[in-house]
Amino acid sequence: MNKKTPYILIMPIVLLGVLFIFGVINGIVQSFGYIPAFDLTDITLDYYIEILNSPTFLDSLKTSLQISIISSILAVILGTILTAALVYTGHTEGKILQIIKLAIIIPHTIVALFLISILSQNGLIARLFYKLGWISSQGDFPLLLYTKNNFGIILGYIWKEIPFVAYFSLALMSSINKTLGEASENLGASKLKSFFYITLPLSMPAIGKAFLIILTFSFGAYDLPFLLGATMPKALPVQAHIEYIHPDLRHRPYAMAMNGLILIITWTMAGMYYLITTKKNKR
Amino acid sequence: MKSTNSNKLLKIFLYITLFTILAPMAILILWIFVGRWPWPNLLPATYSLRAIKEIFAPYSNVFSILFSSILLSLSVAILSAIIATITARALVLYDFIGKTVIEFLTIAPILVPGAVFAMGIHIVFIKLSLADTVLGVIIIHLIYTLPYTINIMKDLTESVGKQMEVQAYVLGASPLKSFIYITFPLLTPGIMASISMAYITSFSQYFITLLIGGGTVKSFNVLMVPFIAKGDRSLSSAYALVFIISTLLVFLIIDKIIKKLPYQDNKEEI
Amino acid sequence: MELELKNISVTLSNKEILKSINLKVENGEFISLLGPSGCGKSTMLKTIAGIINQHEGSVILGGNIIDNIPPYKRKTVIVFQDFRLFPHMTVAENIGFPLKILGVNKNKCRERAIELLKKVKLVGYENRRVHEMSGGQIQRVALARAIAAEPTVLLLDEPFSSLDTNLRKDMRELVLELQKEYKITTILVTHDKEEALIMSDKIAFMYNGQIEQYTTPKNIFNNPANTIVADYFLEGTYIDGEIMDNRFLSELFNIDVNKNNGKYKCLIRPLAVRPFKSHVGEFLVINKIYQGDNYLLKLNSTIKDLTLESIVPDFTDIMEGDKVNVEIVKDKLIFIPM
Repeated sequence: MNKKTPYILIMPIVLLGVLFIFGVINGIVQSFGYIPAFDLTDITLDYYIEILNSPTFLDSLKTSLQISIISSILAVILGTILTAALVYTGHTEGKILQIIKLAIIIPHTIVALFLISILSQNGLIARLFYKLGWISSQGDFPLLLYTKNNFGIILGYIWKEIPFVAYFSLALMSSINKTLGEASENLGASKLKSFFYITLPLSMPAIGKAFLIILTFSFGAYDLPFLLGATMPKALPVQAHIEYIHPDLRHRPYAMAMNGLILIITWTMAGMYYLITTKKNKR
Repeated sequence: MKSTNSNKLLKIFLYITLFTILAPMAILILWIFVGRWPWPNLLPATYSLRAIKEIFAPYSNVFSILFSSILLSLSVAILSAIIATITARALVLYDFIGKTVIEFLTIAPILVPGAVFAMGIHIVFIKLSLADTVLGVIIIHLIYTLPYTINIMKDLTESVGKQMEVQAYVLGASPLKSFIYITFPLLTPGIMASISMAYITSFSQYFITLLIGGGTVKSFNVLMVPFIAKGDRSLSSAYALVFIISTLLVFLIIDKIIKKLPYQDNKEEI
Repeated sequence: MELELKNISVTLSNKEILKSINLKVENGEFISLLGPSGCGKSTMLKTIAGIINQHEGSVILGGNIIDNIPPYKRKTVIVFQDFRLFPHMTVAENIGFPLKILGVNKNKCRERAIELLKKVKLVGYENRRVHEMSGGQIQRVALARAIAAEPTVLLLDEPFSSLDTNLRKDMRELVLELQKEYKITTILVTHDKEEALIMSDKIAFMYNGQIEQYTTPKNIFNNPANTIVADYFLEGTYIDGEIMDNRFLSELFNIDVNKNNGKYKCLIRPLAVRPFKSHVGEFLVINKIYQGDNYLLKLNSTIKDLTLESIVPDFTDIMEGDKVNVEIVKDKLIFIPM
């Protein structure tokens, strides 16, 4: 076989990869204050130091971490239960799975719309509470959107990510349950015990990967906090974008330093995942 | 199977989940036809076709933007599937220098949030005159769909393997012909799955399309978001429904094509 | 424990897989379910274990109907074809799993595992991981694990089919040894007639979701109930005829037999045909195939449309093209009522 073949095959991915790495490095270089186009040529860590000392930034960081950690943990737990529900009730294909898939194709922007019409102070749930006599006016209904508690954003991510986790780990859990889960029951373990001793631990690779994906995604995503977030503090990517489009172009490095920190945290999350999974495999 | 207690609980959980997925859809459809819905009514006071009329109005270019947006995402999807197919082939079936680097490259975009990357590359795209162009948007969408499509194609290429193709060489087919007649048909289910996956990823993008397309390249999502942000619930619900229905239609067509494929694996064990 | 299937019918995705199966296995007996693939053998095992639910009929274990007992309480332990060891556990943890589930403490589980490893001749393997073991070793662990569960009935689902020939022989011996030692009622599913004949007290021959015959190995080989069973064990040539007053009459030969009157098919297997050279022989040797310690001869009749096969010792002087006559060994003939 021709030795050149693989090199021809990888040409497109190499081209896109070079562009990708170039984009990432370009952003990082800008975060050190080097943007010749804007007459910024001093390489410095000042922008990082400055934002790390800025309360606005720290609040944004806290907001983003809070959103992503709470939503991802809840989504991965509930998503695992949903996967188990699909596997144990025998719905690993067919109509019910189609409905689950529906949630996957709906973009975060439309999820924001759902939340607005359901959770806002004149939304459906507020009206229901009023009818039930639990609240006496719109103002009594707790503020769930555009507010510091980020309830709406977290709920939005959970709504999107439970089906994602289920969809991502369904194939693995279903095949393990069919073979090893069956074997475990045959050896005397009840369904519940088989699940916790056999099926769940062996499905962890998929569930763990799904967790990493939703954790990093919800930490770095723009759309949902942009549409439903509070004026202050804003989620990190939204705050970074505000600095990015600041009329004073000298603000650009602040945006890039924020992006740099988003990257560092994302990579830390991935690194921790990598350490935990390889440690487990070595045992 | 006898339904045990835990099984019942799982069933209840499943139905609650399905309800929370479907209920917002129903509310969305209702909102399209709302005229006035004053507090604290549980149902609208009046109904109207304003949102529908607005969408179909001659001055609105909803459908032309929808079509160009679908076209853009389909181009991304098909390109992504092609690149994924050949990249997977290189990674699974060949050894070459820099293989680990390429392996890493294929998952790297998952580790760099789209918003972060878009802001980083923006200035480069401006210099390359790719900003505010369809090509620029296609490229950035491609980068963010490839990790998923390559993953699908790698799994499938691994399971299909090379045996069938080798059998074809042995029977006298040239390498190219063996690929076209043997391996490619075996890969088509994965290619179709890749197209679906890449399509929905691309069609759902908002921020990176907005930043790189700069408002010149209007995807349907970019068109819809201002209405959601403004709080026009009827109109944005109508847009959202168009979004969902068009996606389902595209998926339906892809599904039809898959079902027509000659190669379908339907093994059942007795 | 004694096991009985009464009138079991199973339908899967609208296909009737098992059709009114009746079967009784005595305590401590070793029986085989023999039959071609797709005949429903594996489904039957899974029905006994409760993994598949029957549409009709009952499974009776030790005198009690167990239809409503969930699989995990039946102790009808399967050794699966693919063994299904848990990859995230060591060998000892795998074997100890059924005990751990019952709440036995860790040290006791381990002790028992080590004891059973000795029984399956894998001393010192307790801390190995599953992926470090060979196919034969994995099977021994699976067997030990099954025994650890103290099965009421041990169900073996084609457990030897993935092993190579030499290993297979060892494993068969080991299984029989343990089965005898623990007096476990055992059902072996297999498509290998030799395996069934060697190992079992009784063989149930299955075909198309039904049990065609259920009897001892000797009996099923010598007195097959019908042509399907007969052909599965050893093919030969059939001759139609009739028995009247203890004499079988056919166009090829007439012979005394001790059977009821009626129409019969007579199966002539290769061992029932003894050829000898003769210039006026009725048969022509058209083929002589070496088979190790003997030859298989194919004989064509020069008069009738008839082909016989015969197995002769390797020192035979009969050559291809020779004319021969045949002597039919009466005891080796098989008569199947039509």
